[in-house]
Amino acid sequence: MSLKHRLSAVNWLPIAAATLVACILLSLLSSSFMSYTNLQSVLVQASVTAIMAIGMTFIIVTAGIDISVGAILFFTSSLFAKLMMDTGSYALAFACALLCATVLGALNGVLIIKYKITPLITTLATYTMYRGMAIHLTGAQNIPVPREMGFLGNGKLLSIPVPILLLAVVLAVGLYLFNATRFGLYARAIGNSAQSARESNLPVNKVTVFAYALGGITTGIAALILLARVGGLQSGIGIGIEFTVIAAVVLGGTKLSGGDGTIVGSVIGAIFLVLIDNGLNLMNASPYVYDIVKGSVLLIAVVIDKVSVTRQQQHLLNQRAARIRATG
Amino acid sequence: MFIKQPIASLSVSGLAKAFSGKTVVRDVSFSLYPGEIVALVGENGAGKSTTKNMLCGLLPPSEGEIQVAGQTVSVVDGKQHGIGAVHQELSLFSSLSVAQNICISDLPGKPGRIDWPACRQIAEQQLAQLGVDVDVNQRVENLGAGKQQIVEIAKALLHASKVLILDEPTTSLTAPERERLFTLMRRLKKQGVAIIFISHFMDEIYQMSDKFICLRDGRQVGSGNIADTPRRELEEMMVGRTLDEAKVTLTPPSSEQAVLVERLSSHYFHDISFSIRRGEVLGIAGLMGAGRTEVAETLFGLRPFEGRLLVYGEQMIKPSVRQMKQRGVCYLTEDRRRNGLFGVRSVKENLSAAKLSRFVQRRVKGMGFRGEASQAQEWVEQLNISVPSIDEAVSSLSGGNQQKVLLGRWLATQPRVCILDEPTKGVDISAKFEIHKKIAALAASGVAVLLVSSDLPELLDLSHRILVMRTGHIVGEFAREDFDAVEIISLAASSAFEKQRA
Repeated sequence: MSLKHRLSAVNWLPIAAATLVACILLSLLSSSFMSYTNLQSVLVQASVTAIMAIGMTFIIVTAGIDISVGAILFFTSSLFAKLMMDTGSYALAFACALLCATVLGALNGVLIIKYKITPLITTLATYTMYRGMAIHLTGAQNIPVPREMGFLGNGKLLSIPVPILLLAVVLAVGLYLFNATRFGLYARAIGNSAQSARESNLPVNKVTVFAYALGGITTGIAALILLARVGGLQSGIGIGIEFTVIAAVVLGGTKLSGGDGTIVGSVIGAIFLVLIDNGLNLMNASPYVYDIVKGSVLLIAVVIDKVSVTRQQQHLLNQRAARIRATG
Repeated sequence: MFIKQPIASLSVSGLAKAFSGKTVVRDVSFSLYPGEIVALVGENGAGKSTTKNMLCGLLPPSEGEIQVAGQTVSVVDGKQHGIGAVHQELSLFSSLSVAQNICISDLPGKPGRIDWPACRQIAEQQLAQLGVDVDVNQRVENLGAGKQQIVEIAKALLHASKVLILDEPTTSLTAPERERLFTLMRRLKKQGVAIIFISHFMDEIYQMSDKFICLRDGRQVGSGNIADTPRRELEEMMVGRTLDEAKVTLTPPSSEQAVLVERLSSHYFHDISFSIRRGEVLGIAGLMGAGRTEVAETLFGLRPFEGRLLVYGEQMIKPSVRQMKQRGVCYLTEDRRRNGLFGVRSVKENLSAAKLSRFVQRRVKGMGFRGEASQAQEWVEQLNISVPSIDEAVSSLSGGNQQKVLLGRWLATQPRVCILDEPTKGVDISAKFEIHKKIAALAASGVAVLLVSSDLPELLDLSHRILVMRTGHIVGEFAREDFDAVEIISLAASSAFEKQRA
């Protein structure tokens, strides 16, 4: 295989390069950026979106999307806080929260394959529904979580922050599922062409539901970390996070059109977005500028991706034209 | 040594398929023996695809018997029965590797842990058996069309140990790639694989096949040994007699030139030149994918092109559809459902769509429509569209009536140039004849007509002249007095690599 093809197969290379450049720029802006503590804090900040982005990668790779993850995050947090307040049982609260997150994600998948509604509309509807369910559950009150929960968000194990450890575990599982299992391969195949996947007798429905369920469970894990870091349930939790998650996945090198994706890229994408926050912070930018910058970055990434696809199509057309000329 | 008659790999009798009561294929009966290459031939729409889909298990037959290696089965199970197909549109997953594509429906290892080295090995074996060298780690999207075709065959052969169905395998190949494919087919033949070879190209069929099965209008009209059947006889079998319907009368065209096309080129065709006079019907014959629709769409301003295009003496430079419409050009799409009609909207709105500005009221600027309903009613009567009311959704009409609505929409613009792409596709006989009469009447009234059709009898009936297109080129022109159905189909279906005939 030629070097060019070999390199093009490493689809997270562009985001890794961009992140490296961002690191260099930031270390020029601030001497304390490259310190061990600061880098650690960047990773901790990125962990919640990175974990969700890993789940989202599986969904997007099947040519789907889930914009209800912010609402799943909010519902899971609400359920956990409410159960902790009412029962005080960690085991019950953890089990219920993670199970619910998985079921809500899977429900999206079931609706999408069963009624063949576009994922965007399906999850737009469930987004509103899940958020409403959460508010109904807690009566819109802010609920603090017990102090020990802080361990999950700010604690350290073997002097490594717990969120980073959790991210590492999710990353390892994600990489394994993506690269070594039938599920991972089938998910990519479905994203390439659901029609061909059906003709090849692949379990399209099962794989799709499983991908959305994975999106759910990773959101559940992220919800618990976020809750621990914030210290309690607040009404604003999860609003707008779907944008950051999807942006991380797309910046990472996963194609929105499906079929081609990278788990590592999604994690780096999440880190890159935190670096942008950091940079704007260091430059004392107005808080209103943040969203403008992040939105523009995503737009640029999508446009670059689109241009490369168009160029490839143009190349195919030119080949075709050359062939027609040659047969004359 | 006594040689027993071998058992047929695949044998069908009285195979038929009906969709919602309408029979599209019937009376297909043949036997396929190991090491045989059988050509399945027929014109566009003769039922080859439906037959193929029944043979490879994608469609259950409505009637008839299928025997695989002597055992009667109700539906073919490709994997179990050793029958595989390579479809015309490749079904590969472009961002997966060659090895992943070949093995995807039967991966080695456990579901939770694919054995990648074994997968690569299987793929390499498959490809080695075909005698080709392809890097199995390569992504499929990085391969050329020929190699993709070979990967697809390797994938099919993983299970197709007995029967391989190849549907138009050569259309996207270059000459050397095609030769390699033929070598491969010969090798498989030697290994005892039976091959069903679907192709439009007669020279390929004569080069490769032992036997043929000929379909026409969904019916098997002949079968036999290729060696005993002259090419002309087979071509006549495919075309059949022209339909015994009342012929339309054509009036001679005027001498005034309406459309002039000089050295038109684009990605889909090359160096196309022709002219159409007022009152003339110019037919374009050719196979699917020959570039006919692309030429038609280009003339309507839908596609960019190089070369010269003149409409009534005026040169059009980068024309838009709007500009072409203003010059009196109209285009009837070949895919009325996708590109033509507004399915959920009413017959009335569909009829007025191309000439809406005429109905906009002037009194309160841009508010309300006037005369739309009465105009629509007029067209319904004139074209004899059977519809309970003009407010009926157009999707509820039959194919023939839908087509008439679309035709009515464009005739309402009072065109001077009519580009008609497959105007009678999926239309019943009576509607077809009415449309034919309308086309002849249009020409008689001085409109220049460009008629693209895969229905050869239709072209022969309606055209003053016929151009034949093949792989993006014009390869022949026939004046009405020289029309020869067999010659035309033979020209259209010669392989692109054959030297052009005189």
